[in-house]
Formats: sequence, structure tokens, C-alpha cells
Amino acid sequence: MTEVAITGMGLITPAGLDVASTWAGVLAGRSVAAPDPALAGLPVDVDCRVPGFDVDTEIGRRLAWRLDRYEQLAMAAARAAVADSGLDPKTWDGARVGVVLGTAIGGIGTFEREHRNLFDGGANEVSSLLIPMLGVNMAAGYVAIDHNARGPNFATATACASGATAIGVAMSLLRSGACDVVITGGAEASLTPTIVSSFAKMKALSRSGTSRPFDVSRDGFVIAEGAGVLVLERLADATARGARVWSRLRGHGATADAHHATTPHPDGIGAAAAIHTALADAGVLPDEVDHVNAHATSTPVGDVTEATTLRKIFGTRPVVTSTKGVTGHTLGASGAIEACLTALTLHHGVIPPTAGLTALDPAIDIDVARSARSANPEVAVSNSFGFGGQNAVLVLSKP
Amino acid sequence: MTITLEKVRAVLVASFGVAAEEVGPGVTLAELDVDSLALVEFALIAEKEFGVAIDEEEITKDFTLEDVVSLIAGKRAHV
Repeated sequence: MTEVAITGMGLITPAGLDVASTWAGVLAGRSVAAPDPALAGLPVDVDCRVPGFDVDTEIGRRLAWRLDRYEQLAMAAARAAVADSGLDPKTWDGARVGVVLGTAIGGIGTFEREHRNLFDGGANEVSSLLIPMLGVNMAAGYVAIDHNARGPNFATATACASGATAIGVAMSLLRSGACDVVITGGAEASLTPTIVSSFAKMKALSRSGTSRPFDVSRDGFVIAEGAGVLVLERLADATARGARVWSRLRGHGATADAHHATTPHPDGIGAAAAIHTALADAGVLPDEVDHVNAHATSTPVGDVTEATTLRKIFGTRPVVTSTKGVTGHTLGASGAIEACLTALTLHHGVIPPTAGLTALDPAIDIDVARSARSANPEVAVSNSFGFGGQNAVLVLSKP
Repeated sequence: MTITLEKVRAVLVASFGVAAEEVGPGVTLAELDVDSLALVEFALIAEKEFGVAIDEEEITKDFTLEDVVSLIAGKRAHV
């Protein structure tokens, strides 16, 4: 089996504008949720925005005005990831470079603005740029233009698992030999009044405005925006060029619950099957797994279902964390951001705390990290579960 | 209102991410990254700002800003 390495990472998250500051924020366990003036007057008005993202410096003004914010975040994270990898797009064979990026919703902020323009001013007021700002595929398209990446190029859409699905598919492009390098991950910027209203109405969002994964008083997730992008290569190629390897990417499991549009299967059968498939793909046994970066978004049903599934498969051995206590839930970016955080956990040998957790739900019987724990894990699992019952699980290990 | 390079420059700076110092009479729209899609936006904004309709066939991204000023000024003369 072809081994795959993570050689570059870029993070633009509510916890920080780069890998180092995001990692520091996640380790410190500080929630970044705050009231958002853009949501004033709505039933839920708290979210996690990326603070201080300056498109002029990150993207350049000439390009930024024609990108939706989800594309801006993806572009900035991709540039950081490619720079971090040490690869040079000026000299690489672009035909062998793929881009696979996920998003749950795409350029919805632009759509809402242009929709208002249509009703306020008529068809002539609708921007010709709406389509390339709206499409879920366009972040991947723009990243390709930016990096002369002419290989396979597409988006993945598995709701809140989109980022993890992208990474799993990217790995397969390296294993099959279709690509030598893949830029992959996810981006999301869906903090709009319409989206937040709908999530609030389905009671998915925390009314208390606090992300408390696995806590007995959890009452929903805090919606967030952000992007995580990784550069993947075959491990042999990375080693040959002397690249720094953050971690290995070992396995991917993808399944569907085939049960309900938004509620996970009560027995967690889809999630369990995705974990087992990912472990088999990685050639890893359950009792070799030291750490799980859980999907755990802080919803009453989702967290306990995931915890019960983890307990059945792994017992109480792995140290489990949910970094969404800090970052909130970045939807289609979350799987990619958390894959990066899992790689950082392996790299640094420190498991981040689950922020917001004060009293563990008595129905949950797994080892959840309440404070940062020096544990030196060797093998880790990162879970991502999306609406539609779409599950994506990644297995990572130390280089 | 007399159409001047200053007024076209203001539009490009406000809506197209261009720095004021990049805008000279001989600079083309393409050199300012105003491509075919952006040109449609430019026509829409020009209509609002200057009160003239610009058809797609009348302007290309190879127009210099001097050409743009002449086009708009010529149209206004015939309003």
C-alpha cells in the first residue's frame, strides 16, 4: 500500500489566522464564541468568526473582491499550506497536482446579497460574478489557478463531513497514481442570517451560545467559519526530497447511515462502519488507537451517540477530545481543520482539551481530555459526520 | 459632470480592488485584472455612476483608461 504524508498545512480559523496561533488557541482551551452584530435580533446571535482576516494582505484586493468569503478563506489557507510544504508551484509539474476541497454550503453570503439585489433592483442589478462566487466547486477552481494545479480538481459535498471526505478522496488520488501532490481540505463561511435562522429553527444551535462537547448541559453547536488545507504527497516522495512530515495519513472510511436527513442512527451503525472501514484501510487495530479527535459538536443526541460508538469500538483506551469547544463548528471545513489539529496532536505529543466541558454527561463512558494532556499518541482517528447521514473517518499516525 | 480619469479611477479603486497609484491613462483594464466577467460589472457600475449604458460590444479589456474616459464622455455628449 502506498503511504501518504501530510507535508503542508494551512489554517484560518476562529482560533487564529495560521497553524501556530490556532494550535495555541486550541491548546489553551479558550472558546472564541461571541455575539455577532450580523445576527442581531435572531433567536441565536452567537457564532465564531475568523477575527481580523485581512483580505488585502491575505489575498490581494484585486482578487479578493471577486471571491466569496468561503473562497477567500480557502485561498489563504491553500497558500499557507503550499508554502508550508516547501513545494514550489513555479517548478512543479502542474498536471500532476490535484485539488480537492469540500464545503457544506458554498458562497451563500454572496447569494443572499444578490438575491436581495434582484428583488430590490431587478435582473440588471444581479452581479455577473455571483455564479463563480456561489458554486461549491469554485474554491478548488481558484486554488488551481493560483497554484498552476492542472490535475484532478473538484469539490466534495458531504455536509459537515465535506473536509474529511475531501482528504480521503485526495489520499486515493495519490494511491492510484493519478497525482503526485494533492491540495485538499475544506472551507466554510455560512454565517448568514438565513443559514443561522434555519439551523436555529431545527434546534441544532446552542441557545446558551456555548459549545460544550460531551457536557451534561450541552444544548447544540455554535456555528463557525474557517478553512483548513493540507498538502498531501506519497511518503516516499516526501522523504526523498527531505520534506518535514507532520504526520502520515493512513486510512479513510466513508459510509452512510441511510436512516434520517439530520438525526444520526441511534445505534451509530453508520459511524461505527466508517470507523471500522477507516481502520481496515489503515491496517490498524482498534486497540492501537491512542487518540480520537471526535466530531462531537455539542448537540444532545450527536455527542452521546458518537461517545457510545467509540466506547463499543475502542473501550476507554483512547483519549478523546473535541476541539469544537474552542473553534465552534465550521461545518464543511471542520473535518479538514480537525485533520490538521490531529496531525498537530501527533506531532507535538499533546492532546488538546475539550473546552466548555465541566460536567461529563453520565451517559458517556469514554476518556475525554478536559485539560491538555501530554500523551505522545502514535495513532489517531478523526471523525466527521454530516447531515444526510454521511460519515467520513480518517486515520493518522506519527511519521 | 465632466468625465475625467479621476472619476473612473475612483470607481476602479472602490469596486475593483485597484490601488489609486496603479491607475494611469495608458493602463489597460486587463492590466488591472478587469477581465470579461469584471467588465460586465464595470458596465453596470458605470451606468449608475455616469448615467450611460455601455454595451458589451463597445468595450474590451484591452481598453486603456483613456479609451474608457473617451467612450463614456462621447456617450454623455449624445444623451
